[in-house]
Amino acid sequence: MASKSFAQSDTTSKISLDVNKVSLNSLVEKIESQTYFHFYYDSISLGEVSITYQTTPKKINTALAEIFTPLGIQYYFDHQNNIFLTKSKLLGLSINDNFFTGIKQTTLHTIKDLAFEAEEIGNIQEALVDKKVYEIGDKSLTGTQNIIALAGFIKDNKTGEPVGGASVYIDKPRIGVTTDQYGFYSISLPKGRHILNIQSIGMRDVKRQIVLYSNGNMDVDLQGSIMSLKRVVISSQKISNVRGTQMGVQKLDIKTVKQVPVVFGEADILRVVTTLPGVKTVGEASTGLNVRGGSSDQNLILFNDATIYNPAHFFGMFSAFNPELINSVELYKASIPANYGGRLSSVLDITSREGNKKEFTGSAGIGLLTSRVNVEGPLVKDKSSFILGGRTTYSNWLFNYLPEDYKNGRADFYDLNLIVNHQIDKNNTLYFTGYISNDHFNLNSDTAYGYGNKNLSVKWKHIYTTKLNSLITVGNDNYNYAINSQKLPLSAYQLSFSINQSYFKAHFNYNINSKHSIDYGVNSIYYSLNPGNYTPLGAQSLIKPDIIPTEQALESALYASEHYTITSALKLDAGIRFSVFNVLGPQSINEYPAGIPRTEENILRSVNYTSGAVIKTYGGPEYRLALRYVIDETFSLKASYNTQRQYIHSLSNTTAMAPTDVWKLSDPNIKPQIGDQISFGLYKNLKSNTIETSLEVYYKNIENYLDYKSGAKLVMNHHIETDVIGTKGKAYGVEFLVKKLSGKLNGWISYTWSRILLRMNDPTAGEIINKGEFYPGNYDKPNDVTLIANYRFSHRFSISMNGNYSTGRPITLPIGLFSYGGSMRTLYADRNAYRIPDYFRTDFSMNIEGNHKVNQVFHNSWSIGVYNLTGRKNPYSIYYVSENGMVNGYKLSIFGNAIPYINLNIKFK
Amino acid sequence: MKKRIIYSLFILTLWGCKEKYISPVISPNTGYLVVEGIINSGAGETNITLSRTVALSSNAINYEGGAKVNVEGDDNSLYPLSEISKGHYTVAKLNLNATKKYRINIATLDGKKYLSDFASVKSNPAIDSINYKTETQGLQFYVDTHDPTNNTKYYQWDYTETWEFHSTYRTYLKYKIVNNSKGQQYSVVFSDSTRFSWDMGQYTCWKTENSSSILTGTTATMSSDIIHLPIHSIPPASWKLGVLYSINVRQYSLSKGRYEFLQRMKKNTEGTGSIFDAQPSELSGNIHCTTSSEPVIGYIDVCPVQEKRIFVNPYQVPDWAYWLYKPDCPEIAVTNNSDSIQIKAITLLPTNYKDINPMTGAIISFFAAPPDCVDCRLRGTNIKPTFWK
Repeated sequence: MASKSFAQSDTTSKISLDVNKVSLNSLVEKIESQTYFHFYYDSISLGEVSITYQTTPKKINTALAEIFTPLGIQYYFDHQNNIFLTKSKLLGLSINDNFFTGIKQTTLHTIKDLAFEAEEIGNIQEALVDKKVYEIGDKSLTGTQNIIALAGFIKDNKTGEPVGGASVYIDKPRIGVTTDQYGFYSISLPKGRHILNIQSIGMRDVKRQIVLYSNGNMDVDLQGSIMSLKRVVISSQKISNVRGTQMGVQKLDIKTVKQVPVVFGEADILRVVTTLPGVKTVGEASTGLNVRGGSSDQNLILFNDATIYNPAHFFGMFSAFNPELINSVELYKASIPANYGGRLSSVLDITSREGNKKEFTGSAGIGLLTSRVNVEGPLVKDKSSFILGGRTTYSNWLFNYLPEDYKNGRADFYDLNLIVNHQIDKNNTLYFTGYISNDHFNLNSDTAYGYGNKNLSVKWKHIYTTKLNSLITVGNDNYNYAINSQKLPLSAYQLSFSINQSYFKAHFNYNINSKHSIDYGVNSIYYSLNPGNYTPLGAQSLIKPDIIPTEQALESALYASEHYTITSALKLDAGIRFSVFNVLGPQSINEYPAGIPRTEENILRSVNYTSGAVIKTYGGPEYRLALRYVIDETFSLKASYNTQRQYIHSLSNTTAMAPTDVWKLSDPNIKPQIGDQISFGLYKNLKSNTIETSLEVYYKNIENYLDYKSGAKLVMNHHIETDVIGTKGKAYGVEFLVKKLSGKLNGWISYTWSRILLRMNDPTAGEIINKGEFYPGNYDKPNDVTLIANYRFSHRFSISMNGNYSTGRPITLPIGLFSYGGSMRTLYADRNAYRIPDYFRTDFSMNIEGNHKVNQVFHNSWSIGVYNLTGRKNPYSIYYVSENGMVNGYKLSIFGNAIPYINLNIKFK
Repeated sequence: MKKRIIYSLFILTLWGCKEKYISPVISPNTGYLVVEGIINSGAGETNITLSRTVALSSNAINYEGGAKVNVEGDDNSLYPLSEISKGHYTVAKLNLNATKKYRINIATLDGKKYLSDFASVKSNPAIDSINYKTETQGLQFYVDTHDPTNNTKYYQWDYTETWEFHSTYRTYLKYKIVNNSKGQQYSVVFSDSTRFSWDMGQYTCWKTENSSSILTGTTATMSSDIIHLPIHSIPPASWKLGVLYSINVRQYSLSKGRYEFLQRMKKNTEGTGSIFDAQPSELSGNIHCTTSSEPVIGYIDVCPVQEKRIFVNPYQVPDWAYWLYKPDCPEIAVTNNSDSIQIKAITLLPTNYKDINPMTGAIISFFAAPPDCVDCRLRGTNIKPTFWK
């Protein structure tokens, strides 16, 4: 704010203008540069205007009349050198402040559509608040404090839910922060008067005039657009894309997720995540994610801080997250913040919504395979709320229409969520999350499978000062599965596996000043893993009970990271995480001589450790560095370096993530996996930040990645170390993304070129794979193109389309045949030496919203679509099988035709 | 009903997606030696089959003939096998010393030598019984075995099934072809001078089939060495149990190594096709080429082979739906003249007369049916097996 030579402007100040077809924005800038006036207006409600005007020095009120009257825009002056522009006339200016005495009162013109009426009123009320000046802190304090800390919560004024990921910033100088998932922000600003901007997806942009005297709080309620389809403001993201230090981060809000057509019309978070650059999956029946060459166990999947070990339903066809309860999904694949650890590839952070704090509402959905009901509402109005959601399937009918072989198949699943939050006072909030999912199925056999997740967590957010706040979380995560077979009474058995972890996390955020802020904390997880109980089922069974003793371990980490704004262009995030893993007794550990293959015969001895004994300690520093350099407002360069350690591994020799995969903790024989990744990126926003483009390059090293010896036995193995081998991996790639999230046409295109190569060349391991040369990992799909597009015809009708092409995944094909056991049989050699045919799929959906009358009890929406529009039989696998003495090759497709679907969603209150 | 149709269409679209696949990959020339068999330390024959791996596009067995195959003991005993047909080598009644170890020694025509690892003689309990039960998927045969010493633990079985069957129609007639000035002239005549006896040689036959899948079992996870495992099933509409059926089961006891070798082969070649398939893996047995580093497929163990045969006739399984087997055997009437026969019945076989001239005994018209329904030799052999009841 440069000072001008004259103290006070008035309506008789003179301006001279010469503009030709300029926008309102640039006209206003020109006038503001000549006077002391400030303009306030909502550019969206004023709409696109083009102004051509010339004048020699003229009184400002005359000039404005000449400019705005033909455009139907009203203008008003106040006594604070402010000029307000509106399309409609203002009404009811009876607010306590006396700023607006000069404004005429008018009546609202009739608006037919109730929804529009509400929206218009909202505009105006919002505009009024915009003009109020908020004084923060104690005016009488005349200290030398020049940097003031301001903190508070950003909430949705309709439901009272916090608004996470909102941008809170001032323009001059440019200082900005984003709110955390609890809607909390803390910003350090120079003393004095500012215009604080708050922007968030799906919310109206809000400005607050503030005058800062000393540290203080300010909560801001944002108003959601009633018709979010009309326009989605994504300013917060488009700016953070260029300005944030983090790279390789993708954030999806649930609205985006719901637009993407998916099989059976079930909005599916994990499916949509797989459309992001750098994320792959082995096939349509698997929700296992492979991020930048990582295996599916290298992803930390968090739901409100709880680790979900198996995020899939229905043997991998759906993800286990109820879309109605999800607020947003964030995928970190390069610069992983220091508060996360324990997995090599990525962190998928899924956060739920909070219940409506103002009124009881609900929604219900009916689809071909599942139905769901959610209820939410206040427990104490404006203070606490709950949200309860459940989904279940009635997919058993599927099996009744299958060929005879599958007739006895059954599949059931359900998931339940309960999320409660309570604001104790201004500085203390409690959050409770409970999650249960359960699956049961048997296909054509007599073997029944069941698995489930159970998670519980309690979080306490405490604000010490405007600069320091903390988040303490305790919780318990459980995953278990069981298989049983009763066909043969003599050998009827049950096999069960479970993993249980209890954790404590303390996270602190300290905002030192506008240049420095620090995150630090401690994490601790106590694992108790039951690797397998094999027990007889029924009185006749002769099965000998076999119980592999439980494994226990403690994983702890201390971390700190500093966000340092070196100059306005250069910003650094530097973090270090020191993780320690203690393998704890009681346990018996096999010892093997060095230098020869680990086999059962080579076991030297077995050492027993007592309860609580520390058997082995692994640990080390993990570095998290990210650097950003802004070249101009829309263009930046970023670089990051990241190291990770992983102490828990899933063991699977199937290509897809199977529900029977077991997990194994590191022990003296199974070393932790270590990975490091360096990446570099270019970010450029086009067309006034409506189009984001990015290019990221990465190179990654993986140590001790577990692969399997030929014919490995992974279930009920007392010495699993004899069946696995540590391999070295390297992954590299280029990811290109163009994203447009506003306007009638929105969506993204991503292209990835990437490789993941593994190598096992240690002759002492017993078996050298592919002669010790690098071989492609199971999910090595070098070329991958994804298109997600959505077009909104009106508020009530939109269509979506997506397309995906990728190279076929590697496969081990037979190189010959031989005769054995009365049949021709296949001969296999090198692992993953061939590929299945390329993958291509397009999907289409239409989303139809019912009418938008604000006050009706039920709101309906339909989604109708077709999955795999072209009906291409994309091969999931190619396999050869000996049948009646002959070898036949088959190509198996999971969805070999176009699959139509229809889904009905009902919202009620 | 309409709903049902919609649902079924939906399912077809979802699951009916298995297609034949022909690999575009030209497989390399492998030609590795495949050694199949076990050394029978008991009184029966030891049979070893040698063949070579072939290209993926070929489905024919490439037997390895002309090799010298010997069983060698660690006491330097030597038992040569003789080749009875190309690739099949045999020796009878070895009656080996159970305290010694044995291996196989192969020298092929191309000058390469192969040796298996020495294996000790494993005991093998006698089969307790072969029994059966009707289940929804057909007649299910089980093998029951137990080892009171709890030592055997790993088992393998194979079986040979043989069944007697009859032609749908008895035939009293045969075609007679005469060459004259008008070309080949067809007529039917009684095949037997008595006119009223049918041709037994075309009516009663036997068919034999060997098992084509790997059958293994283990009691390693069980508290006692008791086996009750399904080994074979006959679907309800099968022709196998029309008259009399017999199954002969051979039992082998295995080392853990051979058991795992067979399991891996089974997983690679039989247990594929589901969504959660384990990936195929390389096979390595206990046979090595001593003259080069080429891979060899096979795993040689030593044990006495146990056998058990049972017979089943349809009356023993009254609740079994064998009558659902309805061969496609339409019978048509044909006038007994050359033109009619050539037009209507040239691809059929005559069964019995329809009209006969009472004065001359000449056949005026007759019935004819597809050859499979008349001559059983087209589907089996009319030589009665020696063990047949």
